[in-house]
Amino acid sequence: MPLEIITQEQEQGAQPGAKKVPNAAKPEPQAVHQDVAAPPVASKDSGPPKRSESFVFGIPQNGLTSKQREVPVDEPPPLARNADLRYIGKPTARYDGPAKAMGKGKYTADVQLPGMLYARMVDASVPHGRIVSIDTAAAEKLPGVRAVYVVQHTYGLAELRDPKQETPSRYPLIRYAGQPIAGIAAVSPQIADDAAKLIKVQYDPMPFVVDRTEARAADAPAVFPGPADAAGSAGGGGGPKGVPQVGNVHGPQRKQTGDPAAGFAAADVVVESEYFTQVQTHSALETHGFVVDWKPDEVTVYASTQGTSSVRNDMADVFKLPKSQVRVITEFMGGGFGAKFGIGNEGAVAANLSRMTNAPVKLMLDRRQEHIVSNRPDSHQKLKIGAKRDGTLTAIELTSYGTAGVGTGAGTAGPATNLYTCPNLLTEEYDVFTNAGPGAAFRAPGHPQGCFAFEQAIDELAVKLAMDPIALRDKIDENQARRVERQLIVERTNWRNRRPAGSDAGPIKRGMGVAQSVWYRFVSMNSSCEVRVSRDGSVELMSAVQDLGTGTKTMLAIVVAEEFGIPPGQVVIRIGDTRFPVGPDSGGSVTAGSITPAVRNAAYQAKQQLFAAVAPQLGTTPDNLHLAEGRVLFKNDPSRSYTLKQITGKLPTDEISARATRGPEYAKEKLTYGGVDYVELAVDTETGRVHVEKVFGAHDCGRPINPTGVISQINGGILQGISYALFEQRIMDRKTGYMLNANLDNYKILGAREVPEIEIELVENYIAQSSTDAAGIGESAGIITLAAAIGNAFFNATGVRMRSIPMTPANVLAALGKVPGQPGQEVQA
Amino acid sequence: MADEHKSTFSRRGFLKGAGVAAATTAVESANALAREAQAAAQPDPTLGPGALPVKLRINGQDHAVTIEPRYTLAETLRNNVGLTGTKVVCDRGSCSACTVWLDNVPALACMTLAIDATGREITTIEGLATGDTMHQVQAAFVKHDALQCGFCTPGMIMSCAALLERNPNPRLADVKHAVSGNLCRCGTYPKVFAATLEVAQQRQQTAGLVGLTTGKEA
Amino acid sequence: MNKFAYVDCKTVDETLAQLGPDATIKAGGIDLLDLMKDGIVAPPKLVNIRNVSSLRGITAAPDGLRIGPLSTLTEISVHPEVQLRYAALSDAAGHAATPQVRNMATLGGNIMQRPRCWYFRSTDFDCKKKGGTSQDCHAHEGENQYHAVINNGTCAMVHPSSTAVPLLAMNAEVELTSKRGKRTVPMSGFYVPPEKSLINETVVQPGEIITSIFVPAPEPGTRSAYQKYGEKESFDWPLADAGVVLVMAGQHCRQARVVLGVAAPTPMRATAAEAVLTGKTIDEATARAAAKAAMQEATPLSQNGYKTQLFQTAIYRTVLLAAGQMQRDPSAIG
Repeated sequence: MPLEIITQEQEQGAQPGAKKVPNAAKPEPQAVHQDVAAPPVASKDSGPPKRSESFVFGIPQNGLTSKQREVPVDEPPPLARNADLRYIGKPTARYDGPAKAMGKGKYTADVQLPGMLYARMVDASVPHGRIVSIDTAAAEKLPGVRAVYVVQHTYGLAELRDPKQETPSRYPLIRYAGQPIAGIAAVSPQIADDAAKLIKVQYDPMPFVVDRTEARAADAPAVFPGPADAAGSAGGGGGPKGVPQVGNVHGPQRKQTGDPAAGFAAADVVVESEYFTQVQTHSALETHGFVVDWKPDEVTVYASTQGTSSVRNDMADVFKLPKSQVRVITEFMGGGFGAKFGIGNEGAVAANLSRMTNAPVKLMLDRRQEHIVSNRPDSHQKLKIGAKRDGTLTAIELTSYGTAGVGTGAGTAGPATNLYTCPNLLTEEYDVFTNAGPGAAFRAPGHPQGCFAFEQAIDELAVKLAMDPIALRDKIDENQARRVERQLIVERTNWRNRRPAGSDAGPIKRGMGVAQSVWYRFVSMNSSCEVRVSRDGSVELMSAVQDLGTGTKTMLAIVVAEEFGIPPGQVVIRIGDTRFPVGPDSGGSVTAGSITPAVRNAAYQAKQQLFAAVAPQLGTTPDNLHLAEGRVLFKNDPSRSYTLKQITGKLPTDEISARATRGPEYAKEKLTYGGVDYVELAVDTETGRVHVEKVFGAHDCGRPINPTGVISQINGGILQGISYALFEQRIMDRKTGYMLNANLDNYKILGAREVPEIEIELVENYIAQSSTDAAGIGESAGIITLAAAIGNAFFNATGVRMRSIPMTPANVLAALGKVPGQPGQEVQA
Repeated sequence: MADEHKSTFSRRGFLKGAGVAAATTAVESANALAREAQAAAQPDPTLGPGALPVKLRINGQDHAVTIEPRYTLAETLRNNVGLTGTKVVCDRGSCSACTVWLDNVPALACMTLAIDATGREITTIEGLATGDTMHQVQAAFVKHDALQCGFCTPGMIMSCAALLERNPNPRLADVKHAVSGNLCRCGTYPKVFAATLEVAQQRQQTAGLVGLTTGKEA
Repeated sequence: MNKFAYVDCKTVDETLAQLGPDATIKAGGIDLLDLMKDGIVAPPKLVNIRNVSSLRGITAAPDGLRIGPLSTLTEISVHPEVQLRYAALSDAAGHAATPQVRNMATLGGNIMQRPRCWYFRSTDFDCKKKGGTSQDCHAHEGENQYHAVINNGTCAMVHPSSTAVPLLAMNAEVELTSKRGKRTVPMSGFYVPPEKSLINETVVQPGEIITSIFVPAPEPGTRSAYQKYGEKESFDWPLADAGVVLVMAGQHCRQARVVLGVAAPTPMRATAAEAVLTGKTIDEATARAAAKAAMQEATPLSQNGYKTQLFQTAIYRTVLLAAGQMQRDPSAIG
C-alpha cells in the first residue's frame, strides 16, 4: 500500500517509531495522495495572501507549457526550466564528498565522547517463549561493567488488541530469536562482549513457526494468542489495523473498485499466475545505533537515523521528556533504506544505560542483529488480469500473503492498483505472523514484490495478446512521464531488435525486458529551515533534516546558491541537528519535495531582507536589485554592480536571517512518479547464473536539483534491485527458528563483478506544485522494477518464466528443469 | 618470589617476543633490563592476555597504545587511536570496509590482531591525503560522486589506490577485480570504476607528458 | 573474541617449543579469527607463526615446487612459475575469497580451514562435530542448499579450501614437523573424512606444524585448470568447483586427474570422470560424459539437487579450459 506520511499533528502513543498519521488524514483505499499534508486549499480570506503566477509546466520532450497558480505572496517568483538556471539541474559535486573520501566524516558509529561507555545488546536465543529468569549478577560483577539494563518493553512488534489475552509476565514475551532482552554498558566493547556471555536467561519455550506457508495452517503455533496490530514507522511500512485475524493470518485488507466479476466476464483474454518473493534485509553498512549522553538539563542523542525528528519524538514519548530537552544529531549516516526511524529498542536501551551510568553510552548493533532488526517482508501473490483484444484492461484481482515476522506490512497491491487504468479492481492483502524479526519500511515498501508479480503478469498478458510489451503499456498507461520514458527506451536501446522468447540455441541465452514503477508524491509539512546571511557575506542554511547519503546537503546548497547567485560550495550547510528548525523524516522519497521549497523560500526572503536593508544606502529600491554570479546587480543599470560581500558589509546588523516552513501544495492533485527500466541479460542455463549485462533506466523525479546525486541514487536502486532479484534471501532454520545467514558472506549482496553497464536518462517533469517542484527519487529508482524487468528478460531469453526470486542457481536450474526430481516449467515460445 | 619471577619474564618477553617496541618507563633502566636478560636463560615470551603497551606505526607516525592481544587492528584504530575513518561493517572479512594497507598491501583491519601489526607500516584512509590535499583517487571519487552514504568509501578508496600502485594501467575488469571484496549497499560501484579509471588515465597522460619533455631535452 | 595469551615466534623451533594443549597456531589468522569471533573456538593461547621467515617463499626446482606454508594466496597466484606450470594452483589461489583475504591468508591456513556449514559455524547449534549432544546432522533435515552432495551421510559439511583441490590433483605432499621430527603426507591422505573422525579433519597431530608443501613437477604435456561456481562472481563461497590436470599428447589425453572441492566433506578425486577422459580425445562430448560420470555417485539432500548440475558444468567447462578449448568462464567466481 502507499506509504503514509507525517503531518504536524501527531499521535500521543508511546510506541517508538509509531506512525504519526492522524486518522483524518488516512489515505483512501487506492488513492494516490499527494495531498495528505496539504489540506484543501484554504479559502482566500482565511489563508495567507496570494498572488497569481505562471509556472513552467510539463515534460520537455512533449513541449513545455505553462500553468497559472495562486501562490503565497512571500514566496519567490517561479523558477525557469532547468536549462535556464545557473545551479539547479547542473551536476554538482557532493557537499560532504571530501569529508567522506578522507575518512573525516563522523558517523554515529564513530562518535567518541569523554568517559563514553560501550554497550552491547543481549538478545533472545529462543524464537518463542517466556523468560523465566534473567541472571545478570555475573555480568554486573565483571570488572569494567558499569550497568546492565533489562528490557521492560520491546518495541517494533505487533501488539495484541486485547492484552488480557496473554498472561502478564515480568519480562516481555519472546516472539522471535534475536529479540532484545538486555543491554550492557562497559568501559570497552570487549568487556561488554564478555559480559554479554555471562547473562543467563532461562526460558519456558513455546511452539514456534518461521515459515510463511506453515504459519498459515490452521494448527500452526500461534505467534500471538489473538488479533494483533503493528504500527509502521515514520518511514511507512506497517499493515492495516483492525482487520480480521484467524490464527496467524491477519487480514485481508480488501479494496475494491467497480465490479471485478463483470470485468472478467467482459475480458477476451485472462491471465492467471502466482509469484513468490523472499525476505530481504536492509543490510545498511552502518548498523542501527545510538550514542546517548543523558544529562539532567539535556539529553543528547547521536543517532544513525533517517529522521532526527522521529528520534526526538520517541525520546520525548518514551522517557516523558519535554522535546526541548532532547537534542538529536545525525551529521553523517551510513545508510538506512527505510529501517532507521525512531529510537527502536537499541535507542531505548542506550538511553536507559546512559541514565543509569551518568555517562555517554554508545550502542551499535552488530551485523547479526542488524539482519534481524528489520526486513522487507516476503510474498506469495496470486494475480488475475482480464483484458480486451486491444489490450484494454477490464479487471485485476490480486491476493497476497506475506510475512513481516512479528510485524505487519506485507501488502503488495501498490503497482496493481496504481500503475494502469482499469475500472474493476479487487485486492486482498494478508499479513502472516511468524516468529521472525519484524518487517519494516524498505525502499518502496511493498512495491518491488508487487511489481515483480504484476509487471511480469502484464508481460504474460502481452504474450497472450501477441502484443509488444511496450506497445501494450502504451495502450494502458496514462502516465505522461512513463510514456516519454518508454519512447526513450525504444529509441536508445536494442528494444527494436528484440527476438522471440528462447531464440538462442546454446547454453547461454540472451534476452531483454522492461518493467515500470509507480511512486507517490508525499510531502511533509515538518519541513523548516533558516537561512542566515552575515555581514561578511557568508551564507548558512540550517535545518534538522538529515542526509542519509542521498545528497540532501548538496541539494540544499544548490537551492540556496541559485537564489544568491553564488556557487553551491560557498553555502554552508548545517543539518542533522534538532537544535535547528524541524526537518522531515526521510522516508517515502519525501525529503526533496518537502524541504527544498522551504529552503528556497527562506533564501529568497533572506535575500529580500538584505535588499531592503541596503537599498537606501545604494540609492535605489529593493526591487531594483538582484543577485547573480556572486554580485548584486542593478536591474536598471547593467553597468553598476557590487560583490555580495560589499553589499552585506552595509548591513546595519551583524546578521539577517529568514525562516521558512513548507507550505501546502499549490494545487490539490493526485500525482505519481514513475520510471521504466530496460534490462539485457544472459542466462547461463547450465549454471543457473543470470548475468545482467545492460540496464537503461528512464526516470522522473519532478525537477531534478542535482542530476549527479539523482543518478547516483538511481544507480543504487538499480543495483539493489538486481541484488534483490538474484542474490539476497534471509534463510531461516525451520527447526530452530534461527536466521542462518545473518552475516555478509552467506547473506549475499551484489558485488562489483555483478554490476552491468548502466545508462540513465532523467525526465524532467514540471508539475507547478511548489517553489522548486523537486521530488525524491529514492523509491522509484530501480528498486521497484528490476526484479520484474529481469523476470521479463529472463522469459525473453529462455521462454521460461521465473515465478520466484531470488534467481539463484538453485531456483533457476529448478525452473529450467535441470534438477533431478524437479520438473521445471514449460518452455513457451 | 614467584611474582618477581613472573614479572621479570613477562616484561622481558614483551620486549623481545613479538618485536614489540615498547616505551621504556623510567624504572626500567637499560642496566636493569640487561641484568634480567642474563638471569633469564629461557624467558617466557608470552604476552597478555591482559592489556600491554605496544607501539603501532600508523600513517608514518608512532602511536603508543595499551591493548589486549585480542584487540583487532580495526578496534584499536577506532577506539584506541581515534582514527575512525576505517569502518567496521561485517567484522568478518566479507565486506572489506575496514581495508587498510599493511606494508603497502591492502589488508583487513577487522581480521588482523593489532598486536600482529606491530613493526608494520599501517596506512589508513586518514593517511592517504597530504594534509588537506586529497589523494588523486580521493579527489576522483568526489568528482565522480563515487560515494553516497560513504560508509564503504574508505575501504573502496584504499582498494582502488592500491590497485593503481601495482597496476598503473588497469582495465575495467581489473578495477572490478580489485574491489570484488568491497561491498557497497548504496550502489556506488559504477562511479567507483569511472573514478579509478580516470585517475589511471590522468597518470598515464602525466607520464606521457614527462616522457615527451624528456625527449625534447635529450 | 575470548581473551588469550599471545606468543610471537620467529623460528620453527621456537614455535614447536610453544605448542601444547592450550596453544593454537595462528598464521594469516583469517579463519581462526572468524571462528573465534563466532565463539566456535576459544583458544587460551595463540602462537603466531606469521613471522617465521623460514616458512615463507616459493622455490621452483626441476623436481617440483616447494611452497612455504606462509606464502600468501596472492604470492602464489602471481608467481610466474606457478602461473606457467601449475596453472590450476594459480587459478585457485588467485580466485579464493577477496583480494584483501588473499593478501593475508596463507597456503597452510587455507588447507587447514575448518569446514563450511552454518550449523557448525554457529553456537546456536550443538552439532555433534562440535561435541554437541545432537545425534543427527542438522543439515540432513535442515537448510542444506549449500551442503555436500557426495558422501554426505555422516556429516554434510564441505571443505572450502580452493587450493586443496589443485594440490590434490597435482599429487602434492605436505611436510609436517614436530619435536619428534618430520613426516610427509600426500594430499590424498591429508584430510580425514567424517565417517573416520568427526573431530579430526586432517591428519595433522597436536604438536605438528606444516613446514612445506611440495608439488611434483608436471609431466611434459601437462595442462591444468581450476574453476569454481557460486551464486555470484564477486566474493562467494563455492557451490561447485573442479580442479583438472590433464597429461596431453596433442588432443589425446594420456592421463587425467579431476578433483572436486565442495562436493563432499573433503576434497575428492572424481575417478569415474578420470576414467572417461583417459585415453580419449578431449572434446566437449568427452568432457560432458566425464562430468556426468562424476555425478553418478551423488546423493543429493532435499535442497541441493541443483549442485549435481552445477558440478557437471564446473567439470566439463574446466576440462575444456585445461585442454585449451575454452576461455575462462565468466560464470565462474573471481
